[in-house]
Parts: sequence; C-alpha cells; structure tokens
Amino acid sequence: MLVLTRKSEQSLMLGDDVVITVLAIEGDRVKLGIDAPRSLSVLRREVYDQVRAANDAAAASGSRPTPQSVAAALRAARPSAPSVPVQ
Amino acid sequence: MSALAEVGSESVDLDQLNDDAVISFADGLVGQPGWRRFVLLSGDPTDVVGVLQSVDDPTLSLMVTSPTLAVPDYRVPLTTTDRTALQLGPDQEPVVLTTVTVHDQTITTNLLGPLLINPRTRVARQLVLTDASYSTTYPIGQLGAED
Repeated sequence: MLVLTRKSEQSLMLGDDVVITVLAIEGDRVKLGIDAPRSLSVLRREVYDQVRAANDAAAASGSRPTPQSVAAALRAARPSAPSVPVQ
Repeated sequence: MSALAEVGSESVDLDQLNDDAVISFADGLVGQPGWRRFVLLSGDPTDVVGVLQSVDDPTLSLMVTSPTLAVPDYRVPLTTTDRTALQLGPDQEPVVLTTVTVHDQTITTNLLGPLLINPRTRVARQLVLTDASYSTTYPIGQLGAED
C-alpha cells in the first residue's frame, strides 16, 4: 500500500480526474472532499462491502431453494399482491 | 406496450423484460465488475420472482423481485448522471428489481443496492442508495410459511 502524509487542505490526485482533499481533521475523524467524475461510484468501504456481500450471497446457488418455492412463500406473505402474467 | 415500470408497481415487469434481449450492466455489479450480461427469466408462473441468468457464466444467476412488493413506497432517486447512464429519456422510468437471498428459511432482499434496467435499451446499473437507510438483508418472507 502506498502511504502518504497530508495536512489539512492538502490534496491527492488519482489519475487526472480524481482529487481527494483533506478538509478537516477533528480528533480521530478526517473529513475528505472528493472531486471525481459523476460516473465514478464513490462509496464508503463498509457500504461497498455490504452490497458486494449481498450480491455474492444472492448468487450463491449451492442449496438455493427454487424460484417457485420462494415465490410461493412471498405470495403467502402477501395474498393481495398483484402479479403480472408473462405474455 | 405495457406501462413503463412505475416505481411503485408491485410487478416484476417480466412482460417487458423476459425475452431474449440481453440486459447489460456496463460496470457489472458492485464488487463484481465481471457480472455484466444477463437475461431475465420467469421464476414462477405469477412472476413474483424472476431469475437474472448470466449469459457468460451458466452457473451464475440471481433471483430478483420487485422491491415494492415488500416496501410499497420504495423509491429510487435518480440523478441526471444515473438517467444518462441508463439512457433514459425525460419521461422514461427504469424497471427496478432487487436481488433475493434465502438464508436458513428467511427470504431477504437487498434494498440498499437495487438493479435498474432500461426496458427499451436493456442498459442496466446497480445503484447504492447511500442517502437512505435501507438494508441489504430486508426480510420479505419465510420459506415454508405457505404450508
């Protein structure tokens, strides 16, 4: 891992388009400003890890029940739920 | 053509999407940049559940449902950038699906990271709703409860 030391208001460039600026340091919290193209996803690591884990879990098919049994359980939970017939 | 996915309808909108047209996630899914090309298959006759089947990896599939089935007021706020990435016109809305996971007997869905699909171009994206406090494991049902 590359380790750099920055003071408040100093910045880092990631490539040409991404600027990360240390805005403030308050105790054990660092406030960062991130300038990046809107198309680039910027997420807190723990949120990214959570969504990634959810994606992996959804794909894990080892002992996954059938879609039919899951649908039956969901319908049972919501008897009034309308459905859209496949054409 | 059926109504374009109102975010708020409880259907999985399979009638719009379950043909052979490939759904393309240009950036893949979060943490899985290689998960890009899928077709949406009907998961059950009533279309409460669909299956996103990878066209590149036969062993990769994701069960999906409509998030509004569980949370009727579920909303996905789209930025201009999101709309551009999804190739949505000003009056078009994406189909919104969320992945389904079964752990033990509990069925959960990932409301934090919905999958948005343009029903016309089949361009898709996974968003992360960081401004909302949605769970990735929101319980929506219990297996065996129908017995």
